[in-house]
Amino acid sequence: MEESARRVGHYKWIEMRLFEVLGGWVATVPELDVKLRLGTHCYHHAWHSELWHKRLPELREMNPERLTAPPNDELVAFVDAMTEPEGPDLTIEKLVGAYRVLIPAKIAAYTYHRNNTSTITDAPTIRSLDFALADEFNDWRDGEMMLQSLIQSEAELDRAIAHQAALQKLMLAAGGIAGPGTIGDSYEPTQEAYA
Amino acid sequence: MRKSFPVEDLARDERFVHVALADRINDPRNAQAADSGSSGRRGAGRLTPERPDAPDAARALMHGIFVGEIQALEGAGRTCWDFEVGSGNGEGIPEVPFELKLDMARQCWDEARHCEISIKLSGHMGTDLGEFSENTFLYEAACNPDPVLRLTGVNRALEGLAIDVFNTMREFGEIAGDPVLEFCEDWMLADEVTHVKMGSDWLRKLTADDKPRQERALEFQRVVDKLFSLGGFRGEEDDSPVRLARRFRELAGFKDDEMDTLAQIAKEAREEMEAIAEANRPAIAH
Repeated sequence: MEESARRVGHYKWIEMRLFEVLGGWVATVPELDVKLRLGTHCYHHAWHSELWHKRLPELREMNPERLTAPPNDELVAFVDAMTEPEGPDLTIEKLVGAYRVLIPAKIAAYTYHRNNTSTITDAPTIRSLDFALADEFNDWRDGEMMLQSLIQSEAELDRAIAHQAALQKLMLAAGGIAGPGTIGDSYEPTQEAYA
Repeated sequence: MRKSFPVEDLARDERFVHVALADRINDPRNAQAADSGSSGRRGAGRLTPERPDAPDAARALMHGIFVGEIQALEGAGRTCWDFEVGSGNGEGIPEVPFELKLDMARQCWDEARHCEISIKLSGHMGTDLGEFSENTFLYEAACNPDPVLRLTGVNRALEGLAIDVFNTMREFGEIAGDPVLEFCEDWMLADEVTHVKMGSDWLRKLTADDKPRQERALEFQRVVDKLFSLGGFRGEEDDSPVRLARRFRELAGFKDDEMDTLAQIAKEAREEMEAIAEANRPAIAH
C-alpha cells in the first residue's frame, strides 16, 4: 500500500505540472487548432490530478500534500526543461515535450502500475488508471497529429528530434515519472523465472 | 515560460486584426451611428430580426463572442500557470487553492468548446474568422496579478457579460427561427452561469477574512463592468442591444443589489457615450 501511495503522490505531482503548463501555453501558441486542443487537454490532466488527490487519503495518506512530490531532482529538471519554451515560434518544442516525451512516459508508468497491482484490493486505483489511460492515449494521438501537421521541413524535423533527445535524456536520468522502477526493473528475475 | 504573460505578446495567426479599445470607443463614426439609428451597433437598439442591419449586427456580435472565448480560454489557462498552489499566505508568487486551479482547468475545456462552437456558428451565419476586428480588453482583465481580482474581473464581470450576450443571442435565434443558433447559445449560456458562479464562490471564500481585499476586488469588477457596458451596449433600457439577464445572473450568485448597481453602471456608461457623440457631432457634420 505504501508503494501505491508513493506512486499516486508522484502521479498527482506530474499531472499538476502538465495541466498547469498546457494552460499557460494556450496564450503563447498562434495556431488556433493547437490552442483549443491544449485547453481541452489541460482539463484532462487537471482531472487526473484530482483523481489522485482523492485517492491518497484512501491509501492512508491523510495529508495528500505530503506525498504530492516529484520522485527526485532529475524529474524536476525534466519539468523545468519541458516548460521552458514560450515563444510563438516554439510550438513544435512545446508539443514534443508534452506529447512525445511526457505522455508516453505516463502511459508506460500507468500501464505498469495497472498490470502489477492487486485487481481486488487496489481496484479503485485501477479504475482511476483506466480513466487516465483512456485520456492519455487520446491526447497522445491528438498531439502526434498536431506535430505531424506542424513539421513540414527537414529543419523542423531536426528541431523536434533534437528537443526530444534532450528531454528524453532528462527523463532517463529521472527513471520515469515515479523515479527508478517506474516500469519495474527489466533485469530483475520474475516469479516465472524461478518456477 | 514566464509567470504572467503580457497582452502585447498574445499569439495569433495572420487572420486576426487587433484594434485597441480606446480607438474603438473614440471612433467618431460612433456618433454618426448614434444619430442615424439605423447603422452601426450602438444606438441601433435591441437586436431583432426586423432591424435592417440585423444580419451584420448578429454576425459582428458572433465574431465578438468568438474572440472573447479565445481570450477567456487564454486567461483561464494563465491562471492555471501563473499561481502556485498554497494557502495564499506565502511570499513571492501568489498562491491559490488546488481546487481553484481545477476550476480554471475546467473553464479552459469549456472555453475551448465555446471557441469550436463559435467558429461553426460564424460559418453558419456567413462570417469568416478575422472579418471583424479583435480588441483584447478581456485578456487584459485576466492579467491582474492578484488571483482574487483576476477572477472577480474575469469570471464575474466578463463572464457575466457573456451571460447577457448569450441570452440576447439565444432570444435572437428564437425570434429569427434559427434553431441552430438558439441551441448553441443555450448550451454556452449554461457554461457561463457555471463560470460566473465559480467567480462568485471564490471571491467569497478567499476574502471571507479580508474585507479590504474583497472591496478592492469588487471595485475592480465595477471598473471592468463599466468598460464592458461599452457605452450603453449592455443595459436595461428598452433599446439596449444587450439586455441584463437578471434570472441567469441570480443563478450565478449575483444578489439583487449587485445587479441594480450594474444596471446603474451601464446607464452611466450610456450617458457618457451620448455625451461623446454630442461632442463629436460638429466634426461629423463637417
